[in-house]
Order: sequence, then C-alpha cells, then structure tokens
Amino acid sequence: MTLDQGTATLRVLLVDSDLDRAAAVEEGLAAAGCTVVAIAAGVEELTRRVRDTGAEVIVCGLDDPSRDELEGMRALHRDEPRPVVLFAEKAAPEQIEAALEAGVAAYVVEGLAPSRVRPVIEVAIRRFRAHQALRRQLALAQSDLEERKLVDRATGALMQRHRLSEPEAYRRLRRMAMDQGLRLAAAATMVLEKK
Amino acid sequence: MPGVLESPSRLALKRPVLRTLRLGFVPLTDAAPLLVAEELGLFDAVGLRVALSACTGWAAVRDRLAFGALDAAHLQGPMPLALAAGLDGVQAQLIVGAGLGANGSTLTLSQPLAAALGRFTLPLAAGAFAALLRRRADAGQPPPTLAVAFPYSTHNYLLRHWLASAGLDPDRDLRLVVVPPPLLTQRLQAGLIDGFCAAEPWGSHAAALGIGTIALSSGDIWPNHPEKVLAFAADYAAQDPESAIACTAAIIAATRWLEEPANQAAAVAMLRRRAFPGLAAAEIAAAFEGMAQGLPLAAPLRFRTATLPRRDQAAWFLRQMRRWGHLPAGVSDSAALAPWRQDIWRAAATRLREVEPPIASQPPADPPEAVG
Repeated sequence: MTLDQGTATLRVLLVDSDLDRAAAVEEGLAAAGCTVVAIAAGVEELTRRVRDTGAEVIVCGLDDPSRDELEGMRALHRDEPRPVVLFAEKAAPEQIEAALEAGVAAYVVEGLAPSRVRPVIEVAIRRFRAHQALRRQLALAQSDLEERKLVDRATGALMQRHRLSEPEAYRRLRRMAMDQGLRLAAAATMVLEKK
Repeated sequence: MPGVLESPSRLALKRPVLRTLRLGFVPLTDAAPLLVAEELGLFDAVGLRVALSACTGWAAVRDRLAFGALDAAHLQGPMPLALAAGLDGVQAQLIVGAGLGANGSTLTLSQPLAAALGRFTLPLAAGAFAALLRRRADAGQPPPTLAVAFPYSTHNYLLRHWLASAGLDPDRDLRLVVVPPPLLTQRLQAGLIDGFCAAEPWGSHAAALGIGTIALSSGDIWPNHPEKVLAFAADYAAQDPESAIACTAAIIAATRWLEEPANQAAAVAMLRRRAFPGLAAAEIAAAFEGMAQGLPLAAPLRFRTATLPRRDQAAWFLRQMRRWGHLPAGVSDSAALAPWRQDIWRAAATRLREVEPPIASQPPADPPEAVG
C-alpha cells in the first residue's frame, strides 16, 4: 500500500478486544501512513481515552459494546470531542454495506473531512474481512471434524446394534440419510439419539 | 434444527414465505416477548420464519436496522424518534408494530452513594437526592456519575425528568454517561459509576451482588410508561406487510402468555438460558414478580397491556428530547412521530381477537419552563 498524503497525519484509536485482529488492522493503517495512537481492548473509560489520545478517527467492531459509550459522548457531553459514526454522513452506500458485512464501525471526530477518512475505513474493512475469512475457515474445519466424529460414533452404534461390519454400517447410515433427505451428520445424530 | 419444524408449519401457511425475517434484540428482561415467541413456536404458528439475533448494544442494532442488515428489532422507545429526525447523521424510517412492555427499569445506586443518602424507603424522593447532591457540592465533592444504556432511551429521559423535578440540572449537577447494559454492574463494582438507570435484570443483579441499592423504579416516575418497542424498517413493512402483521401477532400472543402468572417460572428459565446464563433465576424473576430487593413496586413490569403503540405517549419522549436540546429545531413533531402508526397492531390484534388495552396512565406533566 502506498503512503497516502491524505491519511498521513491521521491519529487513529482502535477499540477491539480481538487483539489479533487489532494487530492486523494496526499494521494495515501504519502501512497507509496513519498513526495508531492506542489500541483499547475492553477499555473502561473510553471517553477519557479519546480525549487524552487526541484521536481523530476511532475504528471498532460493529458489535463492540464500547460503541454505545461513544454515542453517549457525542449526545451528552458538549464539552468533549464529538465522535460521529461514519455509517452516517456522506458515506457511500457500497462502503456502508461493506463495513456492515465485515463488522466494522468507525467514528470520526467532528470537524474532520470524511474524504480524508475514507482510506482508513477501506483498510479496516479489508483487514476485518480477511480476519473473518480466517475465522470462518477455522470454524468450518472444526465443524467438519465434529461431523466426522458423529458419523464415526453412529457407524459404531449401528455395528453393535445390528452386528454389521463397518462398511455395512456406513452404507446403512448413508441410505437412511438419502431416504430422509438429511445430511449425513443429521442422520448420525438420529441414530445416536435412538440409542 | 429449523428443518424439523418446517413441514407442520408449512401446512398452516396462507402464502409462501418470502424470506426469513431478521429480528434483532438486546439481552434485557423486556426482550422477553421476542424470546418467548421463538421458544413457543409462535412465529412458526403464524407462518413466519424468523432469524432472531442478539446484539451487544443499541448502536449495533440501530445500524443494522437503518442500513438493511435487520428487518425489525427490539428498540428503545425514543430510537425511532431519533432515527426519523436523523440525529447523529443516521436517518431511517421505521414503523412501530407494537410496544413490548411498560415499566421494568430501576435507578440503582452504588452502596457509598446510597449510604450517603441515609435511611430512605423505595421510591426515593427526588428532593432527598437533590439535597444529597447539594451537600456533596458544598463539601467540594465532584458531581456523581450516573449511567444510562443509550442517549435516546426511556431511561435517559425519565431520569432527567425526575432529577429536574427537584431542581437539579442533569447536565451540570451530575455527570450522565452511557454504559452498555452487560457492563453496568462491572462498572458499578469498580467505582467508575455511582449508579445507573437501566432495564432489568441489571438493577436486581447489582442488588443481589450487594454492590447496589435500588432507589427507584421507572414506573415510580411515570406509572406504566411505555418501554421498548418492536420496530420494522419501513421498507420492509411496505414490501411485505403480511410478515410485519404476522410478526406483530406472534409478539402480542407472546405477551398474553407472559401475562399469565403460571408461566412466569418458564419465562424466567427461558430468559436465563437465552440471555443471562450467568445470573441467578431469582435475579431475573424479581421483575416478573414486581419486586425490587424484596419490596413490591407500585408499577411493575407489564407486557400485554402495553402492546398498542400510542403516539401521544411517544410525544412525551419527543418533548423531552426538545427540552434537553437533543433535537434540532427544524424537526417537526409529525415527522418524528410518523413511526407510531396503529395499522399493523390493529391488523394483528384483529386476528388474535385481542382487544385494545385501556390507557393505563397519562405522562407526567411538563414543567412550566419547558412549555413554549
């Protein structure tokens, strides 16, 4: 990523309790020329943190509970920096959709031109999305493993129950699944629940 | 497994299901109608497939609803007003299908602040609280910090009304902050806030932990005030009015079930399993029993009597938003209150033969200085 003149001096505060993801986002932002002033994970007084770090942009997870606190900062305290959620003003619909899908929310401290912040959000969206894909792969691998274990256990149960060989038991399980239009793991669950 | 329920409910369908209705909520006791509707199969019974998802906070629910990632949600009553007005740059047109409840929130104070009040009986008088704050100010102590769960919440506006009724300026004599509900007790325990006004079960949880004292219930400020709402994205309701009506009917049916005392224990068990696995059953049950720290409340949590969305009641919250400078002058009452329509509720109620609930109480009187 080339250094962007527009983002070069932006001070970004990351709020993320997922430290791996925060590290990836920080790296991306640094490469884009931003200064990450702090990473705050499960921070207790975010309001003070925003003030003390002089952050101009705050990047956080869409579902981070700290977000409500940032909203309160704007609505309730006129004497403090006032962060505005970036979904709002002037963001392009495609960017909003991409941010929602990737699970990114960003706040801009009032007064900063949205055009300067756009590259920051793009970096965050890309990094969040990459992290999401990684997690999905892990979850998929995990569920494949779980399903295989279920099928193994069901095959074993059928072998014992009906004195079948392993290939016979497996064929029977597969036939049950096909007859009832079920996934193999669902048929295995039924076999195991029958005891 | 959704597949298991599919075939019997298909038979009851009068029309094909267009797609799954995506419904969001924040884990609080007053989200009970949504969880009950799902657990009892009431959505299936009205021919609706619903994906119910928990969100950690109100900003997350708002953004998903405003930008099309949810079709409907459990929302703070003032949030459709704020979205209609485009506050904080987020604008969305919603339609309120039903009210989800009345009362059910508490003002809970830290033990040091409660102790400084001396002996008091629930509900705490606003004058006694104001006297304490003046004593503290005279002694050079900083103003106490009270938390609400969201700026545009019933809690923020009921609390402000109560404070102002004793001559306090909520923006000067106190520090009001926002803390998301699941973090309230943690912050109270850590001494980072001196109290909070929030929906149950958090007040009862703080009391059970011995870190807070319930001083007041929201029903003490405005008896039977409307609390959360079920709101649909206006586009969704326009494209698929049948689903909006069906969903509202399932929610009204859930409130009927919740109103039966015999179902309370089951409701508590559902909430515990789905929303508050870390809490004791008794902490969740208190709101259903109409109790706070073992004492009966004058205006306890109600569901069924609060389902009809009433525009004149929402107008009270709108007036509070103006009173505290949270609404730009250019926003008209009719535009902000547009989400409060009764057509969806009436269509749903007709199907269930649900009669219109009586008006339980009028909003508190506006102070003279807020008029005009």
